[in-house]
Amino acid sequence: MAEAAVSGRPAPAPSSAKVLLRAENVVKYFPAGIGSTVHAVDGCTFEIREGETLGLVGESGCGKSTLARLVTQLIPATSGKIFFGDVELTKLRGEKLRQYRRQLQMIFQDPFASLDPRMTVGDIIAEPLDNFRVMRGRKRNDRVQELLRTVGLNPNFNNRYPHEFSGGQRQRIGIARALALNPKLVVCDEALSALDVSIQAQIVNLLEDLQRELKLTYLFIAHDLSVVRHISDRVMVMYLGKIVEIADSVETYSSPKHPYTKALLSAIPVPDPKVQRGRRLVELTGEIPSPIHPPSGCRFHTRCPIARLPTPCAEVEPPLEAKSRDHLAACHFSSDV
Amino acid sequence: MAAPILQVRDLRTQFATAGGIVKAVDGVSFDLYPGESLGIVGESGSGKSMTALSILRLVPDPGRIVHGQVLFHDQDLLQLTGEEIREIRGRDIAMIFQDPQSSLNPVLRTGFQVDEAMLAHGRPRSQARARTLELLKKVRIPAAESRYKDFPHQLSGGMRQRAMIAMGLSNAPSILIADEPTTALDVTVQAQILELLADLNRELGTAIVMITHNMGVVAGLCTRVLVMYAGEIVEQGPVEQIFENPQHPYTWSLLKSIPRVDALRHERLRSIEGLAPDLLQPPSGCRFHPRCPFRIERCYTDEPHLQDVAPGQKAACWVTMDRARSEMGADKLIDIRPGAASGVHPGELR
Repeated sequence: MAEAAVSGRPAPAPSSAKVLLRAENVVKYFPAGIGSTVHAVDGCTFEIREGETLGLVGESGCGKSTLARLVTQLIPATSGKIFFGDVELTKLRGEKLRQYRRQLQMIFQDPFASLDPRMTVGDIIAEPLDNFRVMRGRKRNDRVQELLRTVGLNPNFNNRYPHEFSGGQRQRIGIARALALNPKLVVCDEALSALDVSIQAQIVNLLEDLQRELKLTYLFIAHDLSVVRHISDRVMVMYLGKIVEIADSVETYSSPKHPYTKALLSAIPVPDPKVQRGRRLVELTGEIPSPIHPPSGCRFHTRCPIARLPTPCAEVEPPLEAKSRDHLAACHFSSDV
Repeated sequence: MAAPILQVRDLRTQFATAGGIVKAVDGVSFDLYPGESLGIVGESGSGKSMTALSILRLVPDPGRIVHGQVLFHDQDLLQLTGEEIREIRGRDIAMIFQDPQSSLNPVLRTGFQVDEAMLAHGRPRSQARARTLELLKKVRIPAAESRYKDFPHQLSGGMRQRAMIAMGLSNAPSILIADEPTTALDVTVQAQILELLADLNRELGTAIVMITHNMGVVAGLCTRVLVMYAGEIVEQGPVEQIFENPQHPYTWSLLKSIPRVDALRHERLRSIEGLAPDLLQPPSGCRFHPRCPFRIERCYTDEPHLQDVAPGQKAACWVTMDRARSEMGADKLIDIRPGAASGVHPGELR
């Protein structure tokens, strides 16, 4: 989309761009007491293209964070494959997998819990360098100072401790740590949720600048759809462990092809009284069902305003398929949305 | 306009800490009119929640209300005895909180806790139960009879917040204070709760004080808004006016810093430079001056007070946005240069 290129933002990766990471039918079940399982991620197939920001949204409990941890292989998948370039990550174990971790880094939600309070900021940022024995001595310190500058902090802060910093500054420290090994893919799991709006804007701008300068690829996970809309080239919407829609972010927001996406969008309050008063809330009755016993057929049918029951919606699971060019959705009646 | 139902006058709430006195609320004055829905917005530490807690005298230790008046029906709530203020709480002014999980007692049945709010104000037990069921239906809890007997952990987050609202409304208060009631909820549930509050405000005429950091929530629910920064009100007025033509640079920056879901194109967000001030040592003059792009010499030394900037709208600023626009080119200031606001200097990276 031409409008996305305004303000010096890198043009979104075209659909022909190289695929950096591909997930094929990835499944993750967790045991939940005798005889029951949580279907956290239940057969997800998608790709992340080099240089893009792929947004991932959904309500709490939909499997966003589990998917993030599968992508970075912090937890093993129950079944399915994840390819990083041409390498199948899901087949690698031990040291071989560890080496790939250099290229896959994460930024976490809570800037308080994700930094060790007893380590200096310099040691926190250098920990990845130490782990992989990349640099030592002077070079290591120079790199730490360079990273601090990169994220907009004073390079002489390296001897301070996390408690001396505010939430926004700590999130910058977390970003510096993630960048230490020059990763290709950075997974931001709710990286902005704990921050105040004015600080959130600083970090969004920082992430955009870093992406341009360092040619990073982001998987950007958030429950705040306005932020995701702002930062992403493409957006992926999850509901109860399933991907229900993937498309260009402008298109997802202007013409959603899944009723859940539409409902989510209508629920976000717009900070403009004239617009907000005129909007109609597509009300979703009830709340997200339990992932232990997900509904049959289309998982959204219990809350869907356009579901035809019982058939096909409660019986046949709709496949995630192309509804128009580069716009996938999993709905039997996507043309009615 | 009708007479205000609640008048807050020069309210000051302070916390004595080892490092000194934190002035969490520092000279806040406002009126609340019957049946209106008033938003109080600000970032964390701006004093919005403390203002609400001070009204009901629920400030946690070591906080103290050191000055001011809270006039409700011409009686000063700050002068009442403990017994008298307990009569007001929950009967005339009710409050709901951010986290319904920790506001409900986990070992008592949800319905009974709603009953209790009425029993505390002298309603007979026989009536309380029937009214609770009616209220649970009113806040749209499905299968109210069986939910009455459920414990809080058996309800979802949205249901718990509905139960809290039922409790808040049980004595038909004239004011309901809602402190970030939807922050812990998902957007679809948030939308349901906000719609419920708007309907109750309309149907029952309960005045709502909505405390939130979310400008979108204010835009949808409120008719008037107070913007707080570092313990003070920096701007107040009708919602439409404040959103369309904010006069305080903080309000203006805040509105420009939020990404909008209905934005047509990608605009760089305007971030507010620097950090929220340390309330132990608030900046001299205007508290926003270290972060303000339009500061003038006077802002460093003289503290501005709320002044009329438009009908019904007040701002505490020596410059105001009208002047910042005409003389300082404010509209061109949204810096879209790469690296401008994030601290990254292009070329410095490898």
